[in-house]
Amino acid sequence: MRNPYNWIRCFWDVFRRELRRMTSRPIYFYCIVVAPLFCLYFFTSLMSSGLPKEMPAGVVDLDNSSNSRNIIRTLDAMDLVEVKQVYSSFYEARDAMQRGQIYGFLYIPSHFSRDLQAFRQPKLTYYTSYTMLVPGSLLYSNLRKLTELVSGAAGRSQLYARGATEAQAMAFLQPIVIESHALDNPSLNYSIYLSNLLIPGALMLLISLITVYAIGSEVKRNTAREWLERSNHSILLGLTAKILPYTIAFMGIGIFCDWYLYGHLLFPNHGGTALTLLLTLGMVLSAQALGIIFFSIVPTLRMGLSMSCLWGVVSFSVCGMSFPYAAMPTPVQALSHLFPLRYYYLVYVSQTLHGNGLAYSWLGYLGLVLFILVPFVLMIRLKRELIHSFYIP
Amino acid sequence: MNHLLHILWRGLKETLHICQLELSVILHDQGVFIFAILVPLGYPLLYSYIYSTELMREVPIAIVDQSHSALSREFARKMDASQWTRVKGYCSDVADAHQQLKEQRIYGFILLPSDFSTNIQTGRQAYVGAYADMAGMLYYKAVLLAATDVSLDMNKEIKIARAGNYTDREDAVTAYPVRSQEVALFNSTQGFACFLIPAVLMLIIQQTLLLSIGMSGGTAAEDGRYRDLIITSRRNRGTLHIITGRGLAYFFVYSITATYIACVVPHIFDLVEIGRPFDLFIFLLPYILSCIFFALTLSVLMRNREMSILIIVVTSVPLLFASGISWPESAIPPFWKGVSYLFPSTFGINGYTRIMTMGARIEQVLPEWYALWIQTIVYFTTAYITCRYLIHREEKEVK
Repeated sequence: MRNPYNWIRCFWDVFRRELRRMTSRPIYFYCIVVAPLFCLYFFTSLMSSGLPKEMPAGVVDLDNSSNSRNIIRTLDAMDLVEVKQVYSSFYEARDAMQRGQIYGFLYIPSHFSRDLQAFRQPKLTYYTSYTMLVPGSLLYSNLRKLTELVSGAAGRSQLYARGATEAQAMAFLQPIVIESHALDNPSLNYSIYLSNLLIPGALMLLISLITVYAIGSEVKRNTAREWLERSNHSILLGLTAKILPYTIAFMGIGIFCDWYLYGHLLFPNHGGTALTLLLTLGMVLSAQALGIIFFSIVPTLRMGLSMSCLWGVVSFSVCGMSFPYAAMPTPVQALSHLFPLRYYYLVYVSQTLHGNGLAYSWLGYLGLVLFILVPFVLMIRLKRELIHSFYIP
Repeated sequence: MNHLLHILWRGLKETLHICQLELSVILHDQGVFIFAILVPLGYPLLYSYIYSTELMREVPIAIVDQSHSALSREFARKMDASQWTRVKGYCSDVADAHQQLKEQRIYGFILLPSDFSTNIQTGRQAYVGAYADMAGMLYYKAVLLAATDVSLDMNKEIKIARAGNYTDREDAVTAYPVRSQEVALFNSTQGFACFLIPAVLMLIIQQTLLLSIGMSGGTAAEDGRYRDLIITSRRNRGTLHIITGRGLAYFFVYSITATYIACVVPHIFDLVEIGRPFDLFIFLLPYILSCIFFALTLSVLMRNREMSILIIVVTSVPLLFASGISWPESAIPPFWKGVSYLFPSTFGINGYTRIMTMGARIEQVLPEWYALWIQTIVYFTTAYITCRYLIHREEKEVK
């Protein structure tokens, strides 16, 4: 171990040994290349429209007047809505909703036109369902806009009749106008919002699984002792040389994902190339560290894999991308600190979306670095387990 | 006649024997036990708990008030009063607000420009900027909802004040010539858990079945347990017994766990449960069957224990998205829609959600129900074929 030449030779030896293992079985190819690229292509092509366009909606028209038909046409002309069918009763429309044919509907009561002209304040009702959150909330905002338009149109014709100009009429009808600004994602592109996190999440899941598998299969095939001997009985050297091929491979995949998202699909990235690469490196290393941590704590292949898959799947929920951290129950908030994806999300928001430098995102990086440091503490335990291990199915 | 009965009796005995073997695998193989029993029991609880607060209320925002008028202060006050947002502070300019956003102290801000009050007083339109952090869609939704609510409320008052009406009735008509009402059907609180959890529950059933059957199949392939099965069973009928026997074992286990997942968990977490038990039962039957045979088909691909975890786990999130719950079905490209039809979860999630949270009857989910039966039949056949292929391979090796 004193001899540096020996050290390098051992390292190279184990490194090459791992390369052979990697290429010997198709499962490695699946986890390193096929699955990540599949996820990358799947999420980006699934949500390629950005916002769901032409969502099916219905109308219950009990009025059957030129006014009500006008409303239906306006609704149909909206970008996000397609009027699938006009129903003759509430029950038919609800039935269509329960059958999954429409996401919501507008109810125009009978005598709508007559009541409108007689200033009896007819009521438009819109029914949406949040059983599906995205179409539900989008449809809600569109139907709400529509009823505002209808209400405005009624008032406007009255104002025109009194000789008001369009500007005057609009100022009367809508004194305060809200201009919404979705910062860093002005088109409300769901793909930008979701793909940028789902893909790294899937990658981290695969990385920690494959790390556990790479170490665990040594135990399973009874080669752990040989591996340690080859690495000169140094767990630090053995482990580094063993996982380095995966680090390189996953960095390659990670960089490809970065290129595809930010270079090819041109998703906003205010972080710059160097920081994006740093974040990708942090992602790969922290996920590998997580795998090592799991296997050190429960040094059986099956339990290690089970833990990393359960952990990895939960990480999508607790990282705070879909359901905000602030709204979670306190124990879950505490728990979320144990997931590297949470720190990835924090850095991603700060660095990639907001364009902040390290001065703002260091806390997230610190979390990732802490994950990377933990295996160094657990290594002694891992070595002991590897020496005394027997494969338990 | 007697002969036929004898054959049937022997077949039944054979099937039950294999079922018994598989049940003992489920109970004694720790890996299978985790995925077939522990995960279905524990995971739904964890998931439901994460989302149990349902809503993101009181999103912290800032106000950039450049108008410094009574009206702008009223707007700010009303934003604070809204259930969706909470005014955390005032910023002197937009740059300051951006700084606060960077530090993630706030998730949005409202810009009331300097001409806000003047415009309103002089009968012009006043523009208010609502800025939201896109780190999460729920922040945007909260900021926009609150700002729209406040603006509508204030518009009403301004209109009434301007119109100079004489009666309350006139005021009401001025404010709203047409009234509108929103009704959120089924998921009336607009909660996150009510939307996501039913889908996750169904996905858990499918994925844990895939994992446990895959693991048991992989282990069998590893220790050559298939070989034992071939030796004990007879050539042609053996395959059928293996498939039905193994399937039956999982059906026993999942008739209990699925009831727990589909009925008890939503009850514990107060999710919407307006489905009729009978409809649920009728619907879940083909779902569990198709999942079992789908898993049995795939389990042949598993050459060792761990493969099922490595292959299957990563598909969970894509399957959730392909089912049309997270991302509307109408916006899913035809290719992915076609792919999603291969998985029982697509139909299972849609049907279960509609029965459970939307109160659909079984006749309203017939397309999904038929699809699940078709999958059951198809995957039973493929399971049979793949199992035969496996037996052939093993037989060759024995020879």
